[in-house]
Amino acid sequence: MTSAPPSALGRAARESLFWNQATETMPRARLDALHLHRLQGLARYAYDYSPFYRRKWDAAGLKPQDIRTLEDFKRKVPITDKSEFIQLQQESPPYGPTLALPEDFIVHHCETSGTTGLPLGIPYSMIDTVRYGESWVYGWWGLGIRPADTLYFAFGWGNFAGFWSAYWGARRLGCRVISGGGLDTKGHIQAIQRLKPTVLISTPTFALRMAAVAAEMGVDLVNSSIKYTYHAGEPGPTALPAMRAAIERAWGAKAGELLGIAEVDAMAPGCPNGDGVHLNEMNVFAWSMDPATGGEVADGEIGENIVTAYAQTAQPLLNYRTHDLVRRRASCSCGRTWTKFEGSVLGRTDFMVTVRGTNVYQTAVENILAEVPGVSMHYELVLTREGDNDIMTVRFEPEKSITDKRSLWEEAGKEAAERIHKSLHVRLNVVPVEPGSLSRYELKTKRIFDQRPKEFRRALDR
Amino acid sequence: MKTDDLAGRIRQARELIAPAIAGCDSPQIETMLRGADMELYLALWNLGEAISVRPELDYADRS
Repeated sequence: MTSAPPSALGRAARESLFWNQATETMPRARLDALHLHRLQGLARYAYDYSPFYRRKWDAAGLKPQDIRTLEDFKRKVPITDKSEFIQLQQESPPYGPTLALPEDFIVHHCETSGTTGLPLGIPYSMIDTVRYGESWVYGWWGLGIRPADTLYFAFGWGNFAGFWSAYWGARRLGCRVISGGGLDTKGHIQAIQRLKPTVLISTPTFALRMAAVAAEMGVDLVNSSIKYTYHAGEPGPTALPAMRAAIERAWGAKAGELLGIAEVDAMAPGCPNGDGVHLNEMNVFAWSMDPATGGEVADGEIGENIVTAYAQTAQPLLNYRTHDLVRRRASCSCGRTWTKFEGSVLGRTDFMVTVRGTNVYQTAVENILAEVPGVSMHYELVLTREGDNDIMTVRFEPEKSITDKRSLWEEAGKEAAERIHKSLHVRLNVVPVEPGSLSRYELKTKRIFDQRPKEFRRALDR
Repeated sequence: MKTDDLAGRIRQARELIAPAIAGCDSPQIETMLRGADMELYLALWNLGEAISVRPELDYADRS
């Protein structure tokens, strides 16, 4: 007699299309009622335990009991920004008055990458780490990743929240973890060949870097054990369709990503449809704000994502500016009722430069570059100042297929400049550089090089 | 099992654990019991139940 092998989950759970159908498909009215209850509790908690919030709300004349509706929460609770937290942590390290739990409860410390200035310290309680990890699993499960899979982590750990939280998620799903630790790129390829993991966890550009190095080694990753790649940390396969195509072609695998913010949560796992991300509404409440007026932006229009995290009890974040520009959708054909951000993050409010009177966002330029034949994924946006004008210059490496045809480099640059002009109504300098001359990064790729005088930059960019 | 029934069972389990945590004099066992209760708490949270946002301090308040 044969019997089914033991499994980490029962049959009904194994066959579920959702990590948690009950809440991922919860009707909007019930989700909103739940948010109100949780936001009222969080407001009371933040006011009682965080000196930062008590001071801020007292100055605004706000008490937790004043929040009776979701509209009250959006309109009355003062907006917070990373710069406030960084300043208070600088004055009184490591966390200053932003900490709401006694040190006894802090089990992990991470930091933001500091790509926009000074790094922000992030304390986590035990339950914060568990909630944060869960956010990864929704997206993994939706993509098809299961407890029997093996995740390969292609990065050095450091204090980077993005991939520590992925590890916390792997513990929740119950899959096997292989850490690439401090290996170099070649070492990662060899480890994948030897240990046969099924899922690659990395930044999207590092997945492409690994593919390029594998090709130099004569290794065809399409035939490797990797079935899925999953990414975070920078615009990936959901935000940039050309990036998805390049990764899936190079690895012969299905690519997914989530939208996370280190100090908030791995808050929006990728939609299985591949065209956006769904806000994990068990961990985060969010609404969209017009950065110019502070008013709410309707679903379907682009606005700045303002978030309140339930997954951060150690350092609460209420009505927190993300500076991410998103387009919200209330429904999705995948069946999830959780708010969808179509195309993930469409741009940044703080990486905007006004060139000849036109507002130019980094991501908008990146989206165009990704579609131009001959332009590789290795490029930089350099900001300079001439007279009263900000100037943006795009420096790109040509694609491998044209590296020995120098005349095509110029053509690719001209094509990119034309497309940018047509879409964004601004003329940028687009300059090819020698292949391999731009820096490579294992974690977040540095795209913006701001060489303007300090007084023309935002405070955190100085 | 229906969600309401599932939530009811989980609440019962938490009620059983609470006195064990309060009466425990072993740091190892108390930490384990708190961990078990945290998982039950998260199960309720992720079933969409209206519960506390700060379970860690709820214990401190009781002790």
